[in-house]
Amino acid sequence: MSTSENFVPTGQQRHLRACMVCSIVMVQNRFIRDGCPNCEPFLNLQSNMDAIIECTSQVFEGLITLSDPSRSWVAKWQRLDGYVKGVYATKVSGTLPDDVIGAMEEAGMRYIPRDGSSTDDD
Amino acid sequence: MSSSTAALLDTQFDNSEEEEDFKLQPVDTSDDGASDNETAPPVKSKRSEPNDEDEDDEGEGEDTAPKANDDDDEEDEEDDEEEEEDIGRSRKRRRGPRNMFVEDEAEVDEDEEDNEDDEDEHELIKDGFIDPEDNHDDLPVGGETDDRRHRELDRRRELEASMDAEKQAEILRQRYSKPAKGRGLGPGGNFTIVPKRLLLPSVEDPSIWAVRCKEGKEREAIFSIMKRIEERKGTKQELAITCAFERGGTHSTMKGYIYVEAHRQADVMTAMDGLVNVYPRTKMILVEIKEMPDLLRVTKSVQLDPGAYVRLRRPPKYANDLAQVIDVTDTGLEVRVRYVPRLDYGMNEEMNATDPGKRKRPVAGPRPPQRLFSEVEAKKRHGRFLQNRGDKTFVYQGEDYVNGYCEKEVKIQLLITKDVNPKLEEVTRFISSGAEDGTENLDLNALAASLKHGTINASYLPGDVIEVYEGEQKGIRGKAISIQGDIVTMHVEAGPLKGQTIEVPVKGLRKRFREGDHVKVIGGSRFRDEVGMVVKIVEDRVTFLSDQGHNEITVFSKDLREASDSGGGGSLGQFDLWDLIQLDPSTVACITKVERESLIVLDQNAQVRTVLPSQITNKIDQRRNAVATDRDGAEVRTDDVVKEVGGEGKSGGIMHIHRAYLFCRSSEGGKNGGVFVARTTNVKSVSAKGGRIANQTPDLTSMNPATKRNANAGGDMPPPKSFGRDKAIGQTVTIKRGPHKGLLGIVKETTDTHARVELHTKSKVVNVLKEYLGFKDKVSGQSIDPNQRGGYSGGGRGGFTPRGGRDGPGGATPGNWAGGRTPMPAASHDNGRTPAWGSSRTPAVADNGGRTPAWKSGGDGGRTPGWAQDGSRTANPYDGNRTSYGAGNRTPAWAATAKTPAYSGGSDAFNPGSKTPGYAGNSGSDSWGSKTPAYQPQQQADNNGSWGQQAPPVSNWNSNAYDAPTPGAAMSAPTPAAMNAPTPSAYSAPTPAPYSAPTPAAAPIPAAHNWSGNWGAAQPMDAPTPGGGQQGYYGAPTPGYGAPETPAPGWQDDGPRYTDS
Repeated sequence: MSTSENFVPTGQQRHLRACMVCSIVMVQNRFIRDGCPNCEPFLNLQSNMDAIIECTSQVFEGLITLSDPSRSWVAKWQRLDGYVKGVYATKVSGTLPDDVIGAMEEAGMRYIPRDGSSTDDD
Repeated sequence: MSSSTAALLDTQFDNSEEEEDFKLQPVDTSDDGASDNETAPPVKSKRSEPNDEDEDDEGEGEDTAPKANDDDDEEDEEDDEEEEEDIGRSRKRRRGPRNMFVEDEAEVDEDEEDNEDDEDEHELIKDGFIDPEDNHDDLPVGGETDDRRHRELDRRRELEASMDAEKQAEILRQRYSKPAKGRGLGPGGNFTIVPKRLLLPSVEDPSIWAVRCKEGKEREAIFSIMKRIEERKGTKQELAITCAFERGGTHSTMKGYIYVEAHRQADVMTAMDGLVNVYPRTKMILVEIKEMPDLLRVTKSVQLDPGAYVRLRRPPKYANDLAQVIDVTDTGLEVRVRYVPRLDYGMNEEMNATDPGKRKRPVAGPRPPQRLFSEVEAKKRHGRFLQNRGDKTFVYQGEDYVNGYCEKEVKIQLLITKDVNPKLEEVTRFISSGAEDGTENLDLNALAASLKHGTINASYLPGDVIEVYEGEQKGIRGKAISIQGDIVTMHVEAGPLKGQTIEVPVKGLRKRFREGDHVKVIGGSRFRDEVGMVVKIVEDRVTFLSDQGHNEITVFSKDLREASDSGGGGSLGQFDLWDLIQLDPSTVACITKVERESLIVLDQNAQVRTVLPSQITNKIDQRRNAVATDRDGAEVRTDDVVKEVGGEGKSGGIMHIHRAYLFCRSSEGGKNGGVFVARTTNVKSVSAKGGRIANQTPDLTSMNPATKRNANAGGDMPPPKSFGRDKAIGQTVTIKRGPHKGLLGIVKETTDTHARVELHTKSKVVNVLKEYLGFKDKVSGQSIDPNQRGGYSGGGRGGFTPRGGRDGPGGATPGNWAGGRTPMPAASHDNGRTPAWGSSRTPAVADNGGRTPAWKSGGDGGRTPGWAQDGSRTANPYDGNRTSYGAGNRTPAWAATAKTPAYSGGSDAFNPGSKTPGYAGNSGSDSWGSKTPAYQPQQQADNNGSWGQQAPPVSNWNSNAYDAPTPGAAMSAPTPAAMNAPTPSAYSAPTPAPYSAPTPAAAPIPAAHNWSGNWGAAQPMDAPTPGGGQQGYYGAPTPGYGAPETPAPGWQDDGPRYTDS
């Protein structure tokens, strides 16, 4: 791991994408190279451009840099505790395809929409 | 059984928490033994006082049911429940906490048995076995123990509540994570949803500070922090912050800050220190715990649906253009939109634009107008870029054009989806083509949706009377105090919460109106800005009667506001209601209604049209003085009330008169806001503004100036009006009638009708009607007419004065001359002349002697004031900036070489070429001939030939008698610059001469040269007119013309605008 793998210089920021499941924000190339560090088991984004297009979004807002996911209240609130360190988004627009949601649930996960539509649920 | 328990509990308790309590062995120490029947002892051990017996007693005490208690805990509990049921609602509330400590089994039983018991009870009651009141009678018996137990439970509850939220959350997490792990989730698979309210921050959680950040740089700052965190990880300077986030964005209210989560503020300082664009040293704000969740609130973006309107952000050519959504991709991140293209089809392409580098240059300049795609146009020059896909579908330069619209897949971030507010004009572009085949129509719903989103937040304002119609606070009414985002703070004015201030979400709110309220539409609908009175309210739909059109309009109450202003106003751009406008050269119309983007007008043919401001040629200003005649020939004006003859017989006040059309407005209202149009020949005036008698035909005869004059004058020409001093004054008259008839006298004063005559006979002044006077010649005694005698003419009289005191041969009195002479009589051309002297000469005429005041007999000496040998110039009559004379750009009164009449310019005053009119140049012999009127013979004699020496170097108009009144001096007075005048003489009084002497024009006048710019060359002219006027009419200033002012010396500096030719 490089010293600052999650850092994205300004010029690269237009290639950023956010995972619709965990809301982690990375440049597209990293998604291709490594997949989503949190959701890879069921999203299988690595080297899968189509999946990346489907499951990640370029439209997101409210960046969060997470240094200590276990102790941070923000992480807890955003349901990011348990995830890796990195940069996340508070809101990721876009809808996950139904089959992906199905795959998630098969894996025992429950999909929390990150696009703001879930706030009214609780 | 357990399921029914759950169901029961569901209704009363927090599901998840309680469920866990029962399903799992609680880790929580506060969970008492009551959860398990068999673990009763530990429960007791915890309770300090009660022993076994006590408990039994308790049970019994509580057991108010008549049934026997068999010491079974189960029964006990169940009875407990029973009792509570019986006692009623008030106690039921307490059941919640107690139930927490009730074991599963017991509850299950309770549930079932409860019903059974109920049934039993009913039976018993029916049987009359027990008194239904029994329960209550028994209550006090068990009251004490009951209470004790409740206190016990309360204590426990408190204990639990006192546990910090952190621990609780921890416990909960453990509980939840178990099943999750059991299901074998992958990394980070902590996905059982904990309700957010259990995640609310506590004091144990890190605090959040808001740190100033450069606006727009929030994201960068976050990444910089990320970088720093990772770089310093594992080092001594490892950042102690746990998290940092931003909520920037162009429309965010939280921009300009980043939020850093840490336990100590010092940690934030250290972490942020030295970061670009982050300013931790400015005021750092600690975010309150209860506000922390708000920082991370997210709201769902507007869902785009086909048909909705959006605006494009890019490319620049289309920035802010309206587009319509055709399709949305599954992810909702891309939409297919169509918009009206802005194409020039290469028309403005530079001919040499072959250089590819050049094409990248951003298009400055105006963008082409929006026009539907035209195949024909595209083929003209860009045929090679065009592909026809059939069915009105083209591909042109890589873009799809369907039905004339450009269709494109656009990423949602390149669209403006909020506050779109499509204008009617823009929207019509999207329906115009569809109307042809009738398949498409203006989708009002989509339009309304687009409009609604834009105004949803703005629709509540402080002071609005609102009502909660949804949620817990349903039915509460109050007044809005403040609005922040989607939350309205309201002051409750009715209901149980009266007097309190509560916050409610906009979602469940609506505005309250009452019938009769005067309201205005503020929200997004096509009725926007309509004003009217509420007539009906159904739920949140309000129907009101509009002030302008008197039609009923139904809108949502959220779109309404109580209106303080009355309807009927309104304007759209420069067009106001009731304005008269020009639609085309032959059509005018009156604005009868102003809508948000269009105007409803009534044209002269009584057609109602809807026009856009852009379709109006211009506005016709109100013509207050317009007059027309009605069918009776009576005059009608604006604001008069007229009545239609025939037709509907409408009557109304005239607003506009345009040719033969009257635009009237009836006060009774009616269609078009009461406006109707009528021909002038079709109306009768009813009343006229200001009480003019409208029905009376005006006396045209009396208005006819021709007849009037004839009547008065009786065919004779009236005596020409003379102005100024009454000619009669000073005349010798005889009185022809009256008591003084026959007496001779001199008129002293006159009025229009009377004259005061000083009688010769006795020293007495009498008033006599003027017509009784007979004018006599002073000398001959013959009757004369004072107005017709030349000697009395203004000019003639003027001739007297200049010559006053002069005895030259030329000083003839006017009377000596034949009538009609001008005052220029001069016996000898060489002698004392009036300025315009000479034998009937104009000033300009000179037979070597007869000169204008400016003349000079010497060959090159006799010059006009505005004239100098070395090219002293007159002012350019057409150029006010120049001084009139002087080689040195001097003002007329001042020039070394070109002397003004009054000036004697020091040593060289004698310069032959610079004589002033009133100045005898070196041709001293004839100096007499060139006298100014004010000229003094004696002086002349004295000074003959030696003027220069005598005259002071400075202009001393007063000391030198001859200086003063020279025409030239007069000429000098109006400086050209000041007057923007022709030559200085332009204003000098027209001497009598002008008409008698046409020479000035004939002579080579200065002007000619002036124009050619070579005055100097032109100087040989012997006697240019002083004025040098091109028209010649002002050639000769009167000698007596007002005292010239000395130009300030400073003129010399100011004047020199004149450039030497």
